[in-house]
Amino acid sequence: MPRVALRDIHKRFGSTEALRGANLELAPGEIHAVLGENGAGKSTLVRALYGLVRPDRGEILIDGVPREISTPRRALELGIGLVHQHFMLVPALTVAENLLLGEPLPAFLRRAELRARAREILELYDLGLDPDAPADSLAVAERQRLEIVRALARGVGVLILDEPTAVLAPSEAAALLSLLPRLRERGTTVLFISHKLAEITAVCDRVTVLRAGRSVATRPVAGLAAAELGRWMVGEALPPPGSPPAMAAGAPALRLQDLRVPGLGGIDLELRAGEVLAIAGIDGNGQGPLEEVLAGVLPIGSGTLEVLRPPLAVLSGDRQRTGLVLDLSIGENLALSEAAGAGRERLYRYGFLRSSELQRVARESIARFEIRGAPDLQARALSGGNQQKLCVARALGGEPRVLVAVNPTRGLDVAATAAVREELRERARAGAAVLLISTDLDEVLELGTRVCVLFRGRLTAVEPERRTRERIGELMLGLGGA
Amino acid sequence: MKSWRAWIEPSLAVLIALGCAVLVLVLLGANPARALVALAGGAFGDRLALENTVVRMMPLALIGLGVSLAFRCGVWNIGGEGQLYLGALAATALGTRLLPDAPAAILIPVLLAGGALAGALWAGIAALLKTQRGVSEVLSTILLNFVAVLAVAWAVHGPLQELAGSYPQSDLLPEAGRLGIPPGLLRIHGGVVLVLLLPFAVWLLLFRSAVGLRLRAVGASPDAARYAGVSPEREVVRALLLSGGLAGLAGAIEIAGVTGRLFENLSPGYGFTAIAVSLLARLHPLGVLPAALFFAALASGSGAMQRVAGVPSVTVQVIEAIVIFLSVGFALAGRRS
Repeated sequence: MPRVALRDIHKRFGSTEALRGANLELAPGEIHAVLGENGAGKSTLVRALYGLVRPDRGEILIDGVPREISTPRRALELGIGLVHQHFMLVPALTVAENLLLGEPLPAFLRRAELRARAREILELYDLGLDPDAPADSLAVAERQRLEIVRALARGVGVLILDEPTAVLAPSEAAALLSLLPRLRERGTTVLFISHKLAEITAVCDRVTVLRAGRSVATRPVAGLAAAELGRWMVGEALPPPGSPPAMAAGAPALRLQDLRVPGLGGIDLELRAGEVLAIAGIDGNGQGPLEEVLAGVLPIGSGTLEVLRPPLAVLSGDRQRTGLVLDLSIGENLALSEAAGAGRERLYRYGFLRSSELQRVARESIARFEIRGAPDLQARALSGGNQQKLCVARALGGEPRVLVAVNPTRGLDVAATAAVREELRERARAGAAVLLISTDLDEVLELGTRVCVLFRGRLTAVEPERRTRERIGELMLGLGGA
Repeated sequence: MKSWRAWIEPSLAVLIALGCAVLVLVLLGANPARALVALAGGAFGDRLALENTVVRMMPLALIGLGVSLAFRCGVWNIGGEGQLYLGALAATALGTRLLPDAPAAILIPVLLAGGALAGALWAGIAALLKTQRGVSEVLSTILLNFVAVLAVAWAVHGPLQELAGSYPQSDLLPEAGRLGIPPGLLRIHGGVVLVLLLPFAVWLLLFRSAVGLRLRAVGASPDAARYAGVSPEREVVRALLLSGGLAGLAGAIEIAGVTGRLFENLSPGYGFTAIAVSLLARLHPLGVLPAALFFAALASGSGAMQRVAGVPSVTVQVIEAIVIFLSVGFALAGRRS
């Protein structure tokens, strides 16, 4: 009998279907990996099992008994624990105190007793943690181990690790991976969320691949070809809904030479007018630093970055944090770039606002990009999709000749997605150079005149004759060779 | 739009605070009606009382204006008191030592500009510490207050002490450096023109200029502002300089319009009350005027309340404190909703 079984789980958030029929079975004492692209539904599935998300349909069986898991507390009662990417420790308390926090303890207890109990637990798992060290003095890997021990000390038999190595250095990641078989020996079942193929083949027993909210395959890891996993992850080739703009090799517009910053190891890239260069890749492989360095927010470590055909505009990948000032109105957000000194004097004269001109420009953008709001409405009051449209409107408002678009359609509905993609194509046709950084493979294939893949801070060009989902999927997982 | 909240909530804060004051007065065994009437009478009861209140309101309004402007940029300038002292010091030095014989047409603008400049430079120290060394401006501006107060104490015992040499105070400013009291008024001096005009100027700057949009963008989201091409550091420096300049101007006006000379304990904590003014005004440049009037009225009415109703004048501090708490509370609630 499976230890845990999730059957036909469905979950919809607003207009997006995160899960549409996902199945997952964990055998007792196995290390089971869940693999999938960004947005495939991995976190939603895990959150459903941990009581953070209530499925719309489907059932969860624990040891063969159907259970309703409505809260994390209920999940813990059933022996299911989750170690988050963001740790849930009290920084000012010691390792021992964090470990015993939430345990039934007498109202007053002696420090020595507390320490002795904590030491007992720590020795059981032999993880080299000092019970008296304050949690905020621990390195990231140590905090993670503390979280794991805490879960186990509470009697968790099914341990969920949500992308546990994403926050670790390579040597720390190796140490964590070596811990997993030891947990298995003790009978703990581990659910391991990752999109790093090497980790999965190194320690996992079985793997379930999620794609677009569905589980497409569950297989033993032994003897599995990596290329096959890549194909399951990205799916069979579908005809792209639109086609990339025809290559009209224009003048170079943006050139990066051996550009290095923390997280990026030597990027060489030449972007030409009239093309869309699409950079695919799984989040966390250097997209953030690349965006920031292009936006001029992150200083260049070494190498060169030349904008040969200014102005350059960045359509930020994080509309709430960096794309918009949420407390300002739609109109003020549109005016901000010009107020910062970029672009022509249009909305301001002698440094003072021409209100009627701003109203006119804002109304124009609102109509053109179908933003649901008036010029004076706070950006905070807009829905996510409308905020994204406002970001697009602002990035394009300065008539950029180099446009960097980061996940430009994330969170948009089908119609808005099509509109934004058509806008990017249109810009390229009109002679702008577009650099698209996207984790959405469909978007990359639909828009990219050329396609590259970013993996662990390095860029690999996809050969034009091998431009298939399969090939890109391989590169996204770091299977560069041949 | 929720513009009605901008008026309703501060009024509500004042009303609730007055309600609490009634409670406190009852607990003290006083007749609340009598005490509050005395308070109002002391603030607005006759021409002299009214004009005294307006004179007190002026530094509160100017410093509160600067505090609001800085807060809009996400900068907490707690150093209005010190900047006021430095402005007063500069104006006194200019008027009594450097340009004692200049005509009014030159001396008055020079005094006011010198005071503003001194306040701005004083705040500039905090700006430099923040942008170059990451020192919190809350700390540095508070600490600079002490330095400024001691600098004034040193000056009136030393280089700026009156030539007669008997008291720790400066000489009187020459007549040409005094802001006159217009005919028909008792106490209100010419500085009132600036106090009434500057809020509109700051409003224009904040809400109708490119500089203002940059300041507010930095205050609301430094990350997004930086992405849009704004340099948050530069705007922070600008906000602190403007804010300090307004407080320094208030100090110069206090010397040229009210006291005529520099001495220790020049300000009854205007720089601190101004923070409350700016909170009650919800950081709005025009709201600073009624808010400053309210706090000035409390200060000038409290003495009368003590005399007439036998209530300790510190009772008004209860009112002030509750107004501050409620203003902050409403602002936070407004942000959440």
